Amino acid sequence: MSALSTRLRHALGTLVLLGIIASAVPASAQQAAPPPPAQSSQSSPLIDPDALAVNEQTLLGDFSRVEGSILIPNTRERVLIQPAGRLWDYFHEVLLRPIALIVIFGMVALLAIAYLAMGRLRISAGRSGKRMQRFSAFERFSHWLTATSFIVLALTGLNITFGKVALRPLIGPDAFSTVSQYAKYIHNYVSFAFVAGLVLIAAMWMKQNIPRKMDITWLKEGGGLIGSKHPTAGRFNAGQKMIFWFVVGAGAAAAISGYLLIFPFYVTNIAGMQVAQVVHSLLAAAFVAVILAHIYIGTLGMEGAFEAMGTGSVDFNWAKQHHRAWVEEEVAKGHLPQPTLSATPAE
Amino acid sequence: MARMKFLCDADRCIECNACVTACKNENEVPWGINRRRVVTLNDGKPGERSVSMACMHCTDAPCAAVCPVSCILSTDEGVVLHSKDLCIGCGYCFYACPFGAPQYPQLGNFGSRGKMDKCTYCAGGGGTEVPGSIEEYRKYGANRLLEGKLPLCAEMCSTKSLLAGDSEIIAQIYKERVLTRGYGSGAWGWRTAYRESIAI
Amino acid sequence: MLIKREQVERRRGSLAGALPGSTSGGLDRRSFLRRSGLAAGGLAALGTFSPGMLRTTQAGPPPTPGVPVERRKNICTHCSVGCTVTAEVQNGVWIGQEPSWDSPINRGSHCSKGASVRELVHGDRRVKYPMKLVDGNWTRISWDMAIDEIGNTLAAIREKSGPDSVYWLGSTKFSNEAGYLFRKFVAFWGTNNVDCQARICHSTTVAGVANTWGYGAMTNSFNDIRRSKTLLIMGGNPAEAHPVSLQHLLEGKELNRANFIVIDPRMTRTAAHANDYVRIRPGTDIAAIWGMLWHIFQNGWEDKEFISQRVYGMDETRKEVAKWTPDEVERVTGIPGEQLRRVAEKFAKDRPSTLIWAMGQTQHTVGTANVRASCTLLLATGNVGGFGNGANIFRGHDNVQGTTDLGLDVTSLPLYYGLDEGAWRHWCRVWGVDYAWVQSRFASKQLMEAPGIAAPRWFDATMLAKSSIGQSDNLRAMMVFGHNGNTITRMPEAVKGIEALELLVIVDTVPTNWSSVSQRKNGTYLLPCGTQFESSGSRTNSNRALQWYDQVVQPIFESKEDQEIVYLFAKKLGVADQLCKNIAVETNRPLPEDLLREINRGGWSTGYSGQSPERLKRQRDHQGDFDLVSLRAKDGPCAGEYYGLPWPCWGTPDLNHPGTAILYNNHLHVKDGGGAFRARFGVERNGATLLAEGSYPLGSDIKDGYPEFTMAVLKKLGWDSELTTPEMTVIREVGGNNIDAVSWSTDLSGGIQRVALAHGCIPYGNAKARAVAWNLPDPVPVHREPIYTPRPDLVAKYPTLPDATQLRVPNIGFTVQKAAVDQKVANRFPLILTSGRLVDYEGGGDETRANIWLAELRQDMFVEISPADAQARGISNGSWVWVTGAENSSKARVKALVTERVGKGVAFMPFHFSGWFQGVDQRDRFPQGIDPYVLGEAVNSITTYGYDPVTNMPESKVTLCQITAI
Repeated sequence: MSALSTRLRHALGTLVLLGIIASAVPASAQQAAPPPPAQSSQSSPLIDPDALAVNEQTLLGDFSRVEGSILIPNTRERVLIQPAGRLWDYFHEVLLRPIALIVIFGMVALLAIAYLAMGRLRISAGRSGKRMQRFSAFERFSHWLTATSFIVLALTGLNITFGKVALRPLIGPDAFSTVSQYAKYIHNYVSFAFVAGLVLIAAMWMKQNIPRKMDITWLKEGGGLIGSKHPTAGRFNAGQKMIFWFVVGAGAAAAISGYLLIFPFYVTNIAGMQVAQVVHSLLAAAFVAVILAHIYIGTLGMEGAFEAMGTGSVDFNWAKQHHRAWVEEEVAKGHLPQPTLSATPAE
Repeated sequence: MARMKFLCDADRCIECNACVTACKNENEVPWGINRRRVVTLNDGKPGERSVSMACMHCTDAPCAAVCPVSCILSTDEGVVLHSKDLCIGCGYCFYACPFGAPQYPQLGNFGSRGKMDKCTYCAGGGGTEVPGSIEEYRKYGANRLLEGKLPLCAEMCSTKSLLAGDSEIIAQIYKERVLTRGYGSGAWGWRTAYRESIAI
Repeated sequence: MLIKREQVERRRGSLAGALPGSTSGGLDRRSFLRRSGLAAGGLAALGTFSPGMLRTTQAGPPPTPGVPVERRKNICTHCSVGCTVTAEVQNGVWIGQEPSWDSPINRGSHCSKGASVRELVHGDRRVKYPMKLVDGNWTRISWDMAIDEIGNTLAAIREKSGPDSVYWLGSTKFSNEAGYLFRKFVAFWGTNNVDCQARICHSTTVAGVANTWGYGAMTNSFNDIRRSKTLLIMGGNPAEAHPVSLQHLLEGKELNRANFIVIDPRMTRTAAHANDYVRIRPGTDIAAIWGMLWHIFQNGWEDKEFISQRVYGMDETRKEVAKWTPDEVERVTGIPGEQLRRVAEKFAKDRPSTLIWAMGQTQHTVGTANVRASCTLLLATGNVGGFGNGANIFRGHDNVQGTTDLGLDVTSLPLYYGLDEGAWRHWCRVWGVDYAWVQSRFASKQLMEAPGIAAPRWFDATMLAKSSIGQSDNLRAMMVFGHNGNTITRMPEAVKGIEALELLVIVDTVPTNWSSVSQRKNGTYLLPCGTQFESSGSRTNSNRALQWYDQVVQPIFESKEDQEIVYLFAKKLGVADQLCKNIAVETNRPLPEDLLREINRGGWSTGYSGQSPERLKRQRDHQGDFDLVSLRAKDGPCAGEYYGLPWPCWGTPDLNHPGTAILYNNHLHVKDGGGAFRARFGVERNGATLLAEGSYPLGSDIKDGYPEFTMAVLKKLGWDSELTTPEMTVIREVGGNNIDAVSWSTDLSGGIQRVALAHGCIPYGNAKARAVAWNLPDPVPVHREPIYTPRPDLVAKYPTLPDATQLRVPNIGFTVQKAAVDQKVANRFPLILTSGRLVDYEGGGDETRANIWLAELRQDMFVEISPADAQARGISNGSWVWVTGAENSSKARVKALVTERVGKGVAFMPFHFSGWFQGVDQRDRFPQGIDPYVLGEAVNSITTYGYDPVTNMPESKVTLCQITAI
């Protein structure tokens, strides 16, 4: 019974989202009001304002919200009643936390299963002792700028949604408000750093992330999980490309929806802001999940991967295993792998 | 205990804005903060009606539910108050409010919001200040309820359109009016705020 | 520092417990219901309200502990409804406003203006100290220096050009006492050039209504409208201009399920609450009223008994009405015949019916005629002089009625005595000064008895050739007290007039547009006066009720009270001793109580004789005893009195007359406020009697009409023996060798009035009202097209009156109208421009635009334009447009408000704005730091020529304009 009601509520939640989105295209009561215009007084002399009085139920039946005119220049105050506020409340208080928890912890669970099932992916040929330059210092700066700002944004953002159930009972309301206050400012200002990183990443890597034919094979073979041989890949394999496009796309969407909220009423009205907040919070949850996976692959999940962003260079064997096409291109350009300084010379 | 509510009889409201300036006067509300406002529907057309709107002090107030720092709460009288010490100015209450009640002083040079401000039902604030104290007044405005008075906007309404007080009494007043005169455009916002309407 | 939230929550939850004894002395049920906006009525069955966490204390914003908070009652300064303002004062600071539950007029309510009056005193945009222009710069000076310099200049002008070259423009914001003192002072200066806003507000009402039935005032009261079954509002928008009156109108409408009909060019906020709205072309009121009467006469709906007993000349009116067939009415006014018939039927049949009007009828070249047509409609349907009917004329400012009564008027001394020798001698007796001395102050006896120049013509009198003005020289100085310049039409010419003046003195709380609109460099003074909240005295509201008000705080900054400023000028000019001969003066402040007592001693003609300061203060302290509908106190020390002792309040204060809540009401004994139409125009005309026939106030000893009471009449009736010896002594003093001529209005003892009342007779006689006023330009009102009409085709049939000289200056309306038709002005300026009030601002608007709480509400001047006209011009809502006028190449830059509120072909602009002129923002011309928050173009920079022939009321309701997108 309770499972059924939960499902019903989730179905309802979908309707809520649709409802909020629908309310982004409202009509003011003025624009489409039923009473006839003044000219018709010629034909029908009876003008009885009382009998034509507007009525809340009719207006709310016809439009998603009641909007009129107001003396002060502040246009946002023209909205008289917007029941969508209650819908948004329902989304935020009832739906958002379970959805976010499912998405994030679902990913954590998947990664745990992957780790348990496959363990750490090793360099199959072992370390060669030769290094290949994979990312320049500037590329690494851009990545880490985006990465650190994302982590800050994620934590401060999670605080807004989960803080009052997770953190507030621990540290008390006043300390929690102080923390949240700073978190809000940090979230707002760090967003600019995140967007800067996002722009750099997009500018640097966009071209190399355009899907190629070999990506299809790579995907078919599950990046080497399916079948015995490891599929080839360019500088970025299809998985990385997917991450890239997700980060660029979702990052842009999160930034736009976020700025709509930081600059209230500059671009959108209240309904638009509600939609923006819904989009922002759902994207954020997905973002956190995807980045968790990204972090897993880059660290715990794969031997030799972290070095790429850590030091900028990777082991030659690791490169051949995962990015053979790229290695061939590099070698063709004359970028030969260099022996590590600390290692014993091969000759 | 009485459940305090507002009721605007739109068939009496003449958009005189007495409620607006009475609020400014009583609570020394600064320029740009509109704790109460009057919205006119069908402006200039037959059927024109005006409705005075502020925080409706909702049942199951959505602002209180969504506040990430839980700084909003309802008193035993149903008055929704908040603590400006705890508020972080995130704007969530504004997204949730069906009546556009929360107001924010603009801080800084981009839309960064200050502490939320809204109608307090002339009942002081939800902070730790002593009720009726000068500290409470400076932060939230008057505490008339404490003195046995109702919000000044309603008390000064030019045509007795805006009613405040125990919900049963004001609903009864409205009901009698509608029966007497034979028409009524409804208790605006009640369905959304209190999940009930007044049956005539 | 970290307080656990739970503690706070706990504290809040048990707040009641935290306040010991909180339930005792809390809000009782009755006051709770009152605060909830209700007179108890059918709610007795409801359960008791449990006060919960309620506790009674004294103040709004929390007062400093330990310092007492005082409550003081004043009156709202804005409109004429007369709302009581309750102020809470601590340490001399006004800390809060509380609802004034006890006032039967506002019952706690206010509009946006009334609810924000505290800011008028607190605001920092007030004139703080005297200033003068020195080479174009505002320079601070002392009061002594200001009075000295101004006084010397005045004396020099008087020497050179005569006393008539100084214009004393008074204010309807004066108290009765200050207004009276001002009028008296101007008499002692020696001119009749004294006026106030009443001229541009209801001068035509006063002339028209007084010429119909005796007194030029609202006949009933706001509260009495609760009894009406039909409310016809024609030319008024009380929802914006008199918001608190709507409380009575709407409750009346609801309780009686009354007809609520609005006839107006705009679908106003008032019309939004009507159950019938009639759109009319601006300036065609007479045609519409005659159109209604056509239906009424056609169907025999008129009150024949009332007409035969109490109306003179209705047959002549019938002849004029017969011309107004439904077709012709529709052709002229645009009102469909069917609708007008329905309105006429309701008005005539669903009685009592009241006709409510304001500036929509008065501010026209046909203002006086409009008003008289309205009176005729009321007379024909028997709707005057009873409960729930009458001409409910809503006046504008809070004391416009009082200052009109007290003679801030170019045509009369206080209380409508006129300007003839008898009037001057009457007031000289009251003042205790020598008639010959007063006469010596004037340029001549002829100018002493000749009406002065109407305020709207002051700049014509400055600039016209000397020979065309009815006095020895042009105007050289304007002394402007509490009166904004943008309230007068033809501003571009007024600006030239301001620049032509030798001396301009502005006495006001805010700089007003006098200080900023012209290019004056010198000879201009700005003196700070206090608001009425910094003063005390009495005021008369629209329904003739006097209310006493107390000083809330001392005048702030260097402001002074009006009467002190008048006294300082009197002292400087050497007439102070005569001015205050019988009036105590405390440090240059003539006492308002003494001033009112002097008014009482001379105010017989209008019944201003019974309202002593003591009686008014007693009412102030017992406001709660008065009935909401009848306005009569049932018990308490004021038992029997009407609220505000509305004039006429006959006899001396000792006579305890209750005042007259409803004028001409013969359903009451005169001692209970009954009356009859006034015998003001003789007893007979062309063989027909002018006295009432078979109609008389309840309980009258004379069961028929009778003339006004004089000693001769008393003797004839044999009632003269009832006069006491002291009364006879006074009568002999007044009458000299002709005591028979001493009348009810000149008898300073009040004896004649007392005896008449004792016999149930009204002192001014019992006559018929006049449907034909043979002394006016159109004895029976005739429709005349506006000077600038959108219908030049109708001018031939309905032309304006011929040119004539009125009130010392020529009125060339006919010439201007002819030229406009010949030059086809209506082709170039196809839109009718009309004007009106907004709820948030008042009058010229500077005071309210300097009130931060009000200014926020309305931040831009605008023009309302219909969607059709806007579309044709490519104008979108909220965009800037030029409004251009038909004279002076005038233009105004304003925002467009596209709305169906106005019909096609009509544009509307509010007054209240100034500070921009012809597209230029003049903010830097104001004295620094006291410019109002909101500035905008004044509608009167667009308005044009046109004056009512009787009062020179300017036409600010109909002109032509063009609107173009910017």
